[in-house]
Amino acid sequence: MSGHSLKDPSTLLFQKQWIRRWIFGSYMALVLLGLPLWWRTTSIERLSLPTLRIDSLGGKELHLPLSVAIDAASTGTLSDSLVHRLRSTFESRKEQAPNLYSHLEFSVDSFQGAAPPDTYSVSLSEDAQFPIIQNKHLSVPIHQASKVPDLLISLLTPYETASPPGTFRHLVAKYSPRYRLSFTLLNEDAAAGKVVVGWDVAKMISRWIAPILEQTSELHNFTIESQIRFYAPLAFEPRILSNGEDMVHGLTQEHLKVFVNPAEWTLASGVSNDPVLHFVLFVPSDSHSPLRILNDASQPIFSDVFVLPQWGGIVLLNLPTDVPPKHHLTETELDHVFSSFQTQLRRLIGVSDLPPGVQSADPDRPLTDFQLDTLYRQRAFENAGSSKETLQSIIKLVHQIPNMPVGQDVRDDVRGALSALEVLYAGVWRVPASALQHSSRSLALASRAFFNPGMLALLYFPAEHKYAVYTPLFAPVAVPLVVTLLREVSAWRKDRREKRSAT
Amino acid sequence: MRWSILFFFLSWRFSVTAAVEEYREELTLRPLVDGKLAAHFSFSTLLRSAVPRDPSSLGTDDTSQHYTLFPLALGQILREHAIPEFHLTINSGKWDYDRWGHPGEPGVGSGAELWAWMGDGTAVQTSIDARWKALQNSLSGLFCASLGSMDALHTTSPANAFLPTGDLPRLLAPARDAYTLRHATLPAERVCTENLTPFLKLLPCPSRAGIAALLEPHRIFDADWHGLGVHVRWRADRGVQLTLTVQVVLDSVRTSTERRRDWTLESLFGRSLPRSCNVASSSVVLVTLPSDESAYTLSPEPHVSIEGTWSRTSDLNIVMKWPEEERFSYPLNIPPLSDLSVRRTLKGSSQTHGELSVVVRNNRPVPVRTHYLETMPWHVEFFLHTLTVTCGDRGVDCASLLTNMTYTPSRPHATPAQLLATLELPPHETLHLSLRVRKAFLRYTEHPPDAQRGWDLPPAVFVPFDAPHRRIYTPALLVDLATPDFSMPYNVIIMSSTLIALIFGSLFNMLIRRFVVIEVDVKVD
Repeated sequence: MSGHSLKDPSTLLFQKQWIRRWIFGSYMALVLLGLPLWWRTTSIERLSLPTLRIDSLGGKELHLPLSVAIDAASTGTLSDSLVHRLRSTFESRKEQAPNLYSHLEFSVDSFQGAAPPDTYSVSLSEDAQFPIIQNKHLSVPIHQASKVPDLLISLLTPYETASPPGTFRHLVAKYSPRYRLSFTLLNEDAAAGKVVVGWDVAKMISRWIAPILEQTSELHNFTIESQIRFYAPLAFEPRILSNGEDMVHGLTQEHLKVFVNPAEWTLASGVSNDPVLHFVLFVPSDSHSPLRILNDASQPIFSDVFVLPQWGGIVLLNLPTDVPPKHHLTETELDHVFSSFQTQLRRLIGVSDLPPGVQSADPDRPLTDFQLDTLYRQRAFENAGSSKETLQSIIKLVHQIPNMPVGQDVRDDVRGALSALEVLYAGVWRVPASALQHSSRSLALASRAFFNPGMLALLYFPAEHKYAVYTPLFAPVAVPLVVTLLREVSAWRKDRREKRSAT
Repeated sequence: MRWSILFFFLSWRFSVTAAVEEYREELTLRPLVDGKLAAHFSFSTLLRSAVPRDPSSLGTDDTSQHYTLFPLALGQILREHAIPEFHLTINSGKWDYDRWGHPGEPGVGSGAELWAWMGDGTAVQTSIDARWKALQNSLSGLFCASLGSMDALHTTSPANAFLPTGDLPRLLAPARDAYTLRHATLPAERVCTENLTPFLKLLPCPSRAGIAALLEPHRIFDADWHGLGVHVRWRADRGVQLTLTVQVVLDSVRTSTERRRDWTLESLFGRSLPRSCNVASSSVVLVTLPSDESAYTLSPEPHVSIEGTWSRTSDLNIVMKWPEEERFSYPLNIPPLSDLSVRRTLKGSSQTHGELSVVVRNNRPVPVRTHYLETMPWHVEFFLHTLTVTCGDRGVDCASLLTNMTYTPSRPHATPAQLLATLELPPHETLHLSLRVRKAFLRYTEHPPDAQRGWDLPPAVFVPFDAPHRRIYTPALLVDLATPDFSMPYNVIIMSSTLIALIFGSLFNMLIRRFVVIEVDVKVD
């Protein structure tokens, strides 16, 4: 007889049905538990951003109160009608440009004795010749009492009164806490005749530019530098106009747009990322002088100054024929140049002009409190707007690009920007400078988050690569697992059917 | 020795009042014995009585800077990083010391070389290393060169060999170790038009007037050897001095159809010297007369007097001719013109080991003491115990001539090795140094994109004790390292995946398989 010398394998421990199922089950559990671990270790870090909070910023508005108080003692019976007319003038202004002034909350009242704090006060004066501003106080000669509402509203909401409307604001450089002011004297071609070899630039800056910088120090820090270049060709040939014996080289309005020749003029700064405002004094060469600006009718205009929006200002200086070949520009020659530079600087940083006829009582301070406060309010409003837009773009971008990493620093910056914005929107800012601080902080953080280099890290590494690398491992491992699973399931179903048929 | 330099003045002015800024330009033309011509352009701007910024003031806002002749772009860099002295040279080609003698400007090592002396800042972001990095990045941006790759892998501090050429201002902050040198070379960096264009823009008279008008890129980059240099130094009694140099070695024999060595400014640079640069205090052309006995003519008549104010309005075209020479014949034996002749080679064909051999010959009749500086990236490792020094052809051991050896070993993947020693060279003696090296096996990601080309090793530098400005650079070397198959990571992934799948599959099958005994009825007869 064929004796069972071999042990029956089904009696072996690991050949028992339930143990085999346990083994298989543990393998499956291991794989299933391992999958999330693998997924986590190979996926990109994308921290969640406060989307809901950013979305809820959408409808919010800044609250910047504008309180005007009218000195009842000086206005007497006119007081009530002034209050009424001021209110209606402001309302009509707000209707004209709702997106510009919707954040201003206007209130007007009359007062006796001392003016309440943080208000702009108005009085009528009998001995003044013209409207005068002292700190936050406007005093108007009594015979001009009817102009008070227009004057005051022009002072407080100046932007759309500039003519033509809208031109003012597109000149203004984008807000930055730091600017570089670069003053450049460009000789078009020093080798071809007369050359300006020096200028009293430091003295001129301290006379014309420094007072403005000091007054706007709450808004910006400035770094000042100057240079002289001796060869700065134009990229185009100016138009020649001969007018009898005189020959004039003219710059058309089209020429002004392409006046700066970045390929040849070395004006760029290599050491910092601060935006630069350029002030260029251009001395044309003999072959191009006199160089004048032409109007649309191709006639030379009186002014030889122009501003390039958000870039800087340019002044043309035609040297008189009798200067020596090597000329040093003196203070008297430079006064009109730097007064133009000052005007251009005010334009570029967004300072509004005083309405015509109005004078400041303090000649040492070129900017009045009305202008400064308006600037603070406007910048706070702009910064809040662009910070909000930046945050919304970050959310949109992160949502659109699933491969974009969002790290700890980006999230912290976004949160910081957001909380500064929320504080700004929640408060009522009677002192515009403090609203500005919050808004610029928010803008700085939001831009830093937006330009964080870490967000670009894996932008060009698609998920398909990951699968391509892991498939050689996963496919051969998965096949026995799946096959066994199918086999076990079918065995189990067969067992059950047999049991049922047995009973 | 006879007077052998002639002056041509484009303009010369003794200014009565010393201006704050002063610009001088100078071109030295030197015919060489092998028929070539060395031209050395030097444009120097002096910022009188200016003092370099103190590193302790870096955290605060700088004072306003007003320049007239000094380039603002470079002034900003100096102020922003508080650099009292730096030297940048980018050269292409191999300077032949034996035939060409010592160059007008010593920095002629091939590739880019940058070295700077910096005072210690107080804060972390103004530390020397941070500013060294920032200086490279600023200069890269300014000159369109990839200096930014001068990282810790290339940076050393051989302070004895690269002494400051000017003064260093006293530091305000109580810094412990006042000034430190940072030095790096990129032997593979090439100089090209995109470096020259921004370089010329730093000059007050770029390319239209004065000597700079001769810098025509097509001619400069066609030369046998060409290099740019930027040198900033500070002298306590004068101020900050910026010198921009261009050196070229032109071959007029190669370009002439009659194979003559006659040259004119027009034949060399494609144009004669136009009007003078009218903001330059002086602009001078110097011609060094050849020392050999052949007859030559030079026109126009040079000016030898340097009195009064003088300015040239017409074009200047200097012509030098050897009328008796039919065609130039290369001299067969040229006695070496430099103090030392150096040859450095890397021997051995293996990818793991090699031997560095340096042969130095003293050409002077007096003993010469010199620093020998060797900077090696970490992937070429010295076996210092194998260093042998022998004299002459007979191979006599002269180890005693090599003294004061300091060796800073490299740290793998981090810093280079630096070997600084003093060599005593007897008159007319030849010294053979040899040193065995090991070539490292690099990580996959450490290879450059053109890994098969090999690695350029920086030149060794010899700095004589008595004449530190007559530094001698050896040519750069190319080392061949073992390069992997760059598809390797994918092979590794596939291979290990297969292995794991195999192990997993067999183990799993073993555990899951159902064993059944099948009885086979075998009829035994």
